[in-house]
Amino acid sequence: MVKPRHQLTKILLLLYPALFTPLSWGIVNLGDDFEIEGFIKQMNVIQSKDFFDDAELTMQRNTAQVEGKYYFLRDGTLFNNWDNDFLDSATFTFLARGVYDSAYDIRDSYDVLKDRGKEEYKIRESFIDFVKAPYSLRIGRQQVVWGETDNFRAIDIINPLDLSWHGSRESWEDIRIPLWMARGIVDIGKIGPLDETFLEFIFIPDDFQKTKVATEYPRPWAFRGIGLQDVGANSILIDDTLHDLNVTVIDGSPSHKLSNAQGGTRFKGIWNDIDFSLNYYYGFSQTPGVKIQSAGLDDMGVFQTEVKTEFPRQHVFGATASFSEDRYTQAVYRLESSITKGVPVSISPPGSSSSLDSNGNGYDTVKQSVVMLGIDRPTWIPALNKLRTFFISTQFFWRRYLDYSPHMHGSAFYEVNPAVVDGEVVADRYVSENDDKLDQDEFVFTFSASTTYGRAGLLKPLFVFAYDPRSTGAYNKIQVEYLYSKHIVFRAEQHLYWRTSDDDIGPWGLGDYLARPGIRRNETVLTATFQF
Amino acid sequence: MNELTLHLLRRPSLHRPKCPVHFHRFPTISLALITAVLLWMPTPSYATEDQSYQALRNWIDNPPAGAPATPGQHLTLSDREAVLEALIPQAAWKYYFFDDMDMEIAATRHYPAPDDWGKTMASDYTMDEDGTLKGFTGGGFPYKDISADDPFAAQKVIWNMLWRPGANDYDMPMVTWLRGESGKLDRVMEYTSVNATYARGDNSLVPGYEEVKSKQVMEFRSPRDMAGAKDMSIRYVDHHRENSGWLYMPSQRKPRRTLASERTGELMGMDMIREDSMGFGGKIYENNWTYLGRRKVLATINVSTNPEFGGPSLWVPHKTRWEVRDTHVVLVQPKADNRPYSARIVFIDAETYWTHWMFAFDKQDDQLLRMNQHFLKYSEDYGTEPPTQAPYIKQDFSKSVGHQVFLHLGQVDINAKKPHATMTHCFTNKREFTAARAKQFYSLRNMISGRR
Repeated sequence: MVKPRHQLTKILLLLYPALFTPLSWGIVNLGDDFEIEGFIKQMNVIQSKDFFDDAELTMQRNTAQVEGKYYFLRDGTLFNNWDNDFLDSATFTFLARGVYDSAYDIRDSYDVLKDRGKEEYKIRESFIDFVKAPYSLRIGRQQVVWGETDNFRAIDIINPLDLSWHGSRESWEDIRIPLWMARGIVDIGKIGPLDETFLEFIFIPDDFQKTKVATEYPRPWAFRGIGLQDVGANSILIDDTLHDLNVTVIDGSPSHKLSNAQGGTRFKGIWNDIDFSLNYYYGFSQTPGVKIQSAGLDDMGVFQTEVKTEFPRQHVFGATASFSEDRYTQAVYRLESSITKGVPVSISPPGSSSSLDSNGNGYDTVKQSVVMLGIDRPTWIPALNKLRTFFISTQFFWRRYLDYSPHMHGSAFYEVNPAVVDGEVVADRYVSENDDKLDQDEFVFTFSASTTYGRAGLLKPLFVFAYDPRSTGAYNKIQVEYLYSKHIVFRAEQHLYWRTSDDDIGPWGLGDYLARPGIRRNETVLTATFQF
Repeated sequence: MNELTLHLLRRPSLHRPKCPVHFHRFPTISLALITAVLLWMPTPSYATEDQSYQALRNWIDNPPAGAPATPGQHLTLSDREAVLEALIPQAAWKYYFFDDMDMEIAATRHYPAPDDWGKTMASDYTMDEDGTLKGFTGGGFPYKDISADDPFAAQKVIWNMLWRPGANDYDMPMVTWLRGESGKLDRVMEYTSVNATYARGDNSLVPGYEEVKSKQVMEFRSPRDMAGAKDMSIRYVDHHRENSGWLYMPSQRKPRRTLASERTGELMGMDMIREDSMGFGGKIYENNWTYLGRRKVLATINVSTNPEFGGPSLWVPHKTRWEVRDTHVVLVQPKADNRPYSARIVFIDAETYWTHWMFAFDKQDDQLLRMNQHFLKYSEDYGTEPPTQAPYIKQDFSKSVGHQVFLHLGQVDINAKKPHATMTHCFTNKREFTAARAKQFYSLRNMISGRR
């Protein structure tokens, strides 16, 4: 039974003036200095084996979002009354989101989740901008995006991601976790051969947050490892003897104190028509490593393990460039490169490498490099569209462990399987194994194409393809958006997950979790949005 | 049957069948004929208006005789043959002549340029063999006199248009309507363009940026799926240097370099391409040029305010003020085969060098593909007759008075083949940037964040 949603009702009431005023076809002005905009959206996600075979509604996400901006200092005048020579302008911006997933009230099988992931009511972003040329400062809860890469991370690492409700498949604007921080910029301009230069500083006093994943099955994007997804390991096999397993996990997240501050700087400019940036960020890994604190059989024969999640300090050095080549290829080239020191890995089996894991805790940090080359090109394909170009964007992403060892494993992809003793499967006993052996070089290739159709360009198809040549896992998205009216937008998406060979999950989980044999799923997403 | 069909059925010319049909004798046949006519509509009703390239060339070369348009007169459809066909380019007749049309005629005026216009110009500029202006840095018209027998007359007209006074330095909030036939509204957009001239003759707005001609930042505010999208473009004094562009999308929260040389695809669903901007927004050296002489046309050069739209599809300015203007007529033909147009004809004011009309013809069949027509207002009239305020921001229009330039109040862009039209109201106000403010505002730094 669907229960009344008081929070959602409150949001709808708040939105009422915007939704039902005749002025609400764009940003709504409330007075001269305050603007609001937003949307109400319902997104239905249906997972099925092969085009609606065994289809199930896994998500019915109802979202209300309102965004506001208050211009309280304009042209040197504060609150329209007081002259202010100190600042040129200042604004306050907020973005609030309320979410209610009604699939939780439709599906009985979600009862075990005890409403985890069902609702979210948050002021996601809230910040004040101050501008006094050549300085600007944004203070508050915000997102900061660096880099040239789309949907993969090299130096876009300031905000963690919320992968709990739909992996990384949604717009990253909606899944980045905004952080409390200060972002200051000094506009420099020309220096010698460099143009449009500026220096940017980021300071995050104590707001560490980790990348968020769901681990509670049957959440549709629960991240529980591979193999059997709906059970956890409860046993361990030692010398052909099956023991009960008891794992105690200690959260090692950095605490909220100034010594855990994070920050970075970026210098950006143009040299010979090439946009470039040099970046440095000092933060914490947002994905954990796992350090074994203790492990062994107790008096009762139970294997007791205490592990601690570690979020090591990281130094990230990065450089980006983009260049518009108009003469020969008519394309924009994007380049991003980074070196990260402090990437957590597991050493398996623990103690197997004395150089990496001298204290035998199965944990170490290593260095990693990333190179991304991207090409954007508006392209005429007259046979498919005579009026408008296709925007084609491709990326090649190469990640390499610089101090690689064959003992290195990932920290997340533990395979859970039924326990087998003497060739016999033991009922209700499950063991886990970290067989996520890391490759020194990891690759992924992406391609997307989009255009618009119709007299006013209201029909917007999009095709996305991502492929990991090592794991042969791939992901496709075919999307059509229809701007039905100034308020209403419909969208249909088909997400296809597949893998051509092998069972290697790969570092990106591209073909997984939904393409793995036995649990393979595709997704159909139908969305209706009322925007204002 | 839509409103447009009804309207066209009412038109007198359509009620003069060449082969009379005896409806009372053959009701079945008559019904079939009526059905056929209805299915045939609306295209054939417009077929009476020849919109070919050749027809417009004939209209330019052999202007129809017409009575003068008298100041104070309100011209209507009944004045079409006597007055209007001689003053409205033929390719536009199909849209600009309609039942209740009302064109107020004003006296042809002289509009002085800014007092310092032409006084701060560099003099050591040249034109190369492909018609590209070299070494010119603004501050006046590069070519004061246009001679019809000059082989570079067409390029010189275009250079004057590109460096005209008032081309930049404004705040321009805009509202754009995208309409189909019968006035069906497909989309409304609100956005603002802010633009500054850097190259000002013997000086640059921002010292050290002498290579920059102008900079522009444009930001969308509605509909919500586009709100916050922001574009910055830089044009350079060196015409051979390609423009630079960046696009900030709120969903990405970062700017992205764009390919400025792609100027032939329709933008944002609008019925224009970037190369259509102010009649011609491309590169001189990519085209062949012919000067077609001078021609008097009606132009909305100094409207009282942003005009309402009329006609059966609400596509064209209605009940507004027109002036008979002397124009240079320029033929532009692309050198490359991969362009959508076979030819483009631009009518540019002979005194102010603002574009009034542009007609572009389909490479496939030499029929009209796109056209645009512009609404302007002289800054000195802002004091006595201020234009309408934008629906979402109030501006102090008195800031425009004294600049002695024209301000762009909007335009009509029609795609004749779809058919579809984009009508824009610009609520333009003059804006003068200080060097420090321009440097900060038109910077890449300003593109790394947006309204969200």
